[in-house]
Amino acid sequence: MNKKAITAQNISKKLGDRFILSEVSFSIKKGSLVALIGPNGAGKSTLVKILLGLDKKYEGSFSIDQNETIAYISQQESHDRFALPISVEEYLQVGVATQLRKRKIKKEDMIASLKHVELPSKILSQSFGTLSGGERQRVAIARALMIEPTILVLDEPLAAVDFGARDGLYKLIRHLQQDHSITTLLISHDVQSIIPISDEILCLNQTIHGGCHPLAFIAGKYESHQGVHHHC
Amino acid sequence: MELFTYTFVQYAFFGGTAMAILAGVLGPFVVQSKQSVASDMFAHVALAGIGGALVLGFAPWWGALPALLIVSSLMWWLQDSHSYSPDSLAMFFLSGGLALALAFVHVAKNTTFSFENYLFGSILTLTKTDIVAIYISAVIVIALVWYFWYQLIGATREPIHITPHNNTSKIVLLVYFWVLALVVWIGIKTIGGLLIGALLVIPVLTVCNWTSSFKTLVFGSVIVSLLSMILGLLVALFIDIPPSSLIVGMAILLFIFQTLVKKFVFTS
Repeated sequence: MNKKAITAQNISKKLGDRFILSEVSFSIKKGSLVALIGPNGAGKSTLVKILLGLDKKYEGSFSIDQNETIAYISQQESHDRFALPISVEEYLQVGVATQLRKRKIKKEDMIASLKHVELPSKILSQSFGTLSGGERQRVAIARALMIEPTILVLDEPLAAVDFGARDGLYKLIRHLQQDHSITTLLISHDVQSIIPISDEILCLNQTIHGGCHPLAFIAGKYESHQGVHHHC
Repeated sequence: MELFTYTFVQYAFFGGTAMAILAGVLGPFVVQSKQSVASDMFAHVALAGIGGALVLGFAPWWGALPALLIVSSLMWWLQDSHSYSPDSLAMFFLSGGLALALAFVHVAKNTTFSFENYLFGSILTLTKTDIVAIYISAVIVIALVWYFWYQLIGATREPIHITPHNNTSKIVLLVYFWVLALVVWIGIKTIGGLLIGALLVIPVLTVCNWTSSFKTLVFGSVIVSLLSMILGLLVALFIDIPPSSLIVGMAILLFIFQTLVKKFVFTS
């Protein structure tokens, strides 16, 4: 399957005199999982915001078919102690209602989605805030799956999850992505964990000061990897 | 019981009940949007509308409504399209509204007018027309909240993250601001502009540690809000203290009561 789900051409973003992104071009094949890596300040989150339509001030262009359904999972911050209570069921309903404008989804669909992420149905009545970091991210993935996305963007999804739980969750993401043929863009600093599960790697690196340090590491360590796009 | 045969007492309870229910329903959305000061801001904007109505010769309370709807739309637009923080925008409109209100009253040259009724409420002077307007507005608010229930939760809880390339959250946020403006409009007539924020927020704080879902939180907030309103009004009929201060006082007492119960009865 070589059809492109996302194509970006010369995307640039400037803040004052500084280029956050400079003529970034890439394409992501339908159904593939692409890891987006790069050092802090390379523009990963900026690129993601542009792709999601949250930042409209940029140059260049990108294309995503209007029939694509995009789901976005961000880093679940350590539980906001000021957050008001919401049950897991309501959390799922909120995501679907906002994305699909449906008023309500059936309980059976919620249970099926929770099963995909290996969570029991009894969790529906629990308060979302009392779940562990790993459980909250599983619920967030279940919520994303409920809208039947064709594109999934995950921005540091496991940053707030214990180290011990991360490998299992990355494998789960890969497993679900392959099962449902979802084009996935995964942003993470967890290079060791995400590269083995990726089809391609997109590396952003600001070269104002030269150097391409993550690329050398990747090329050396994972030479067998298909397609390493880099912007140096 | 003879007191309840008086029309003004009946209207006070009718109007107060509607206000309490609306405050209980909308309060959780206000608190989780982290813009609790917005209700105060709208109250001050309402004063500008009241002042404008005085200048033009209209009934003051009705002048507040268009001002509220216009500013709520502006607030939404400025938050969405510019990089202004919600609290700084709230202060901008709050102080601007008050300044405009003072100017309008001076221009109207109405030496007998006082903002006090709208700052602290005049629940014991509600008329039949006021009650009809309050209940029509309440039905509109409840209908909108019910229809946009999950989308309102999403728009006030995490407006950015869950809707790429989808403007539903932004539109629903506008509906939220209009609904809040309408509730404040009712509030300035009943409990007063300076105290409506208390009725929106305190019941939520009283209940939030006892519930595990948003729906039960709203239900609990309505109960606490109604209790505060009814107890406050009952006491106000017998002692010479403004009803709105007693209503807020009851809400505060209920908050203190649940804090003590949680600390001394349910500590592990």
